[in-house]
Amino acid sequence: MNNKKIIRVLVIISALFLALLSYLMYFNMFKAESVATNPYNRRQWDDEKYVTRGTIYDSNGLVLAETVEGEDGSSIRKYSQGRIYSHVIGYCSQVYGKSLLERAYDSELLGKGDIDIFQGDKKKGFDLNLTIDNTLQKFAYQKMNGRRGALVAIEPSTGRVLSMVSLPDFDPNAKNLERAWNDIVEDEDSPLIARSIQGLYPPGSTYKIVTLAAAYENGMQEKIFEDIGKFKVGNVTVENYNGKKYGQISLERSFAVSSNQVFCSIGYDLGADSVEEMASRFGIEEDVMFDLEIAKSRIEYKKMTDTDAALVSIGQGQLLTTPMQMALICSAVANKGNLMRPYLVDSITKNNIIIKDTSPKILCRAISAECADYIQQQMIEVVKNGTGKRAGISGITVAGKTGTAENERDKDHSWFVGYAPAENPQIAVAIILENDGRSGGDSAAPIAGSVMNKYLSLIK
Amino acid sequence: MNIKMRKVSFKFPAYLLILMSLIGFTLLSSANDWKPNVIYVGIGFLGLFLLVYSILVICNMGDKFLVLVAFMLMTIGVLMICRLDIVMGARQIVWIGIGAIVFFFTYCVFYKIRFWNRLWMVYALGGITLFLLTLIFGKTVNGSRNWIDIGVIDFQPAEITKILYIMFLACKYSGSFNKNFFKVSPMLMTGAVTYLYILFLVFQRDWGTILVIFLIYIFMVYVYEKDKRFLWLNIIAAGIVGILGYFFLYHIQVRVGVWLNPWEDVSNKGYQIAQSLFAIASGGYFGRGLGNGSPHYIPEVHTDFIFSAICEEMGVFGGAAIIILYFLFAYRCFKITLNTQNLYNKAVGLGLTLMFSIQTFIIIGGVIKFIPLTGITLPFVSYGGTSIVVSFASLGIMQAISALETRKGGETVDE
Repeated sequence: MNNKKIIRVLVIISALFLALLSYLMYFNMFKAESVATNPYNRRQWDDEKYVTRGTIYDSNGLVLAETVEGEDGSSIRKYSQGRIYSHVIGYCSQVYGKSLLERAYDSELLGKGDIDIFQGDKKKGFDLNLTIDNTLQKFAYQKMNGRRGALVAIEPSTGRVLSMVSLPDFDPNAKNLERAWNDIVEDEDSPLIARSIQGLYPPGSTYKIVTLAAAYENGMQEKIFEDIGKFKVGNVTVENYNGKKYGQISLERSFAVSSNQVFCSIGYDLGADSVEEMASRFGIEEDVMFDLEIAKSRIEYKKMTDTDAALVSIGQGQLLTTPMQMALICSAVANKGNLMRPYLVDSITKNNIIIKDTSPKILCRAISAECADYIQQQMIEVVKNGTGKRAGISGITVAGKTGTAENERDKDHSWFVGYAPAENPQIAVAIILENDGRSGGDSAAPIAGSVMNKYLSLIK
Repeated sequence: MNIKMRKVSFKFPAYLLILMSLIGFTLLSSANDWKPNVIYVGIGFLGLFLLVYSILVICNMGDKFLVLVAFMLMTIGVLMICRLDIVMGARQIVWIGIGAIVFFFTYCVFYKIRFWNRLWMVYALGGITLFLLTLIFGKTVNGSRNWIDIGVIDFQPAEITKILYIMFLACKYSGSFNKNFFKVSPMLMTGAVTYLYILFLVFQRDWGTILVIFLIYIFMVYVYEKDKRFLWLNIIAAGIVGILGYFFLYHIQVRVGVWLNPWEDVSNKGYQIAQSLFAIASGGYFGRGLGNGSPHYIPEVHTDFIFSAICEEMGVFGGAAIIILYFLFAYRCFKITLNTQNLYNKAVGLGLTLMFSIQTFIIIGGVIKFIPLTGITLPFVSYGGTSIVVSFASLGIMQAISALETRKGGETVDE
């Protein structure tokens, strides 16, 4: 009789042991990575004693980050370009840990899995070769002129990231960073956030590209709209920028002048499901694989109504996107509807021998080539005769879209997305200037124009 | 019959252990740079094992697997301790040697003497005496006042108390202690003694041992007590006391707080558990390799946290192997208990089985942050004289129980 109960106790004890095993495995599968990379884990620096951290180069082989030996024999991580790459390469501090590429490619930089045996001398980690061209990066950084915001430039046909700037930034040099840490962390402008990939903003009118794609697919090209300057459904009222009224207007023209009323009504007519579906085809609410962690662009409604869809269609409401996402949307149009996976690390090498090579990959097919072609025509029109005139480059056809995004806190964000040359796109750019107050066409478009022009002259 | 049996039982698992030790110690001695001392410790350990195991087989002392599994656990433990500190490794071998003597001694004593079941008052008073001695002469180590310093060596009386407590419980539940003691029924008496012990342990802040004693008691009550209400009464009372303890005892609040979120105060309160988790997480599935990790970052690494060090260098699979070994050990103990007919021996067997299992669960669960951490040693693996000797003593009793049962019918059961 007792034996029966003893067996039950055995079952309980077995369950306890099984729970231990399961938890141990669970911990290792889902928690271990973040625990092991906790800055308080001193083991992370153990390897550094025996390995010289790999060097990071730009696309032309210029050294961006390297580890040199200090006078006292300690390793010092040097960033030749200073702050310009603080939101690409990140920092590498014994006290505060590592960020961005230094963190994401930590094991590669430390040469983990390298089977070479070095006797005596220190081992050398693998090197990273970035897709970024330092000349362009520097140029873009200067053009941003310290204004709060971000710039992302991508090669549309491959997804190579050509430039990625985020401001405000910080000095990534470990000593300076450790000294300034408290100020940096307490700074209201959060200099540690890589706005280009982690900043979430309402995209404003630049998002009309996506709405236009939905309008095209639903056969609205020939439709004539009546623009009375104001979109009103229920308690939601949206006015055109500067309160303009356009009267009878075609779809093309309303895109070029960026009529909020027309695009709101398109979104409202298409309905929530259709708007949501098109958004997800352009990668919103999807996890976009990248070398660094991208914040997920999203539509934050629990249940989206058609009125919400109207707001989302002009890039307002609860729609939030990263500058990277807008650059991807723009380059999908440039690349005949194919959205390429963005990448930053071109190859991993050791002593110039390639260990790992990144090849371009199509992430998804957002729209058809015909649809992309149609949108391109309208985007060219925007730069030629519409709101984006100041992004124009003489002798080169530029396609683009401006945006001026209202936000809860402060003055409007100014946006521009675009690419050039339209016939054979080489570079797609997305720019946001936070709380700039001016329209995207006035402040963001000129920067985009000069950055694209610079790149085209570089590759000529 | 006997001769045939011996051949069988010496067969496979013993070689497995020898192989395990040979590979382990050779690897450790040659890892990074040549350390001949490790080899000497290894030889000493293997010699001890062969001696103990041969005596066991030749004298036909009951179950062979218990000792085998215990020595497998010890192999991993000694390896890890040698890797941490070779001097400690050598000392551990000495303790294992003493433990082996204690093992045979307890075996013989428990085997020969048949009036254990009548000594309930001796056990109860013995336990209380040990507690009083600890309170008077004890010294505080790591916040727990549970050590006594007797000249050359320190020892933890609580470890011995656990065995006395189990023997005491067994008197009651085998039916030998069945008369009222000054009008107090045996059921209430055992309860009173249990909670008195726990009270003493609260003064010593030895939360781990409290858990072990309480859980043994609850399981014993579950198995033997016919009155279901008494079981629930105990559980509910303990629940209330636990909640009160949480609100009024700062120590318990800290422990629970750190368990829920160790990252809040990594450099201070959460330090121990965070270091343990760092070690396990850095080890990954296959570990960083014997000698390649940094187990010295973990506090108390050779005793309470040895499991984390094993996970770091031998990987989570190494840790899983340890858990499985403990399970095999517990399973074997359960089997012996189930087969035992003598009521007293059965109750003692169950108590010891529970002690091993619960202790293992509490400390492994603690260092992997499955449950709140309470400092307690990992039987057979942790460094420490008292732990090893007491584990061997319990093993001796378990062995005697199995021998008594298998020899009773003149038939040897062996799988």
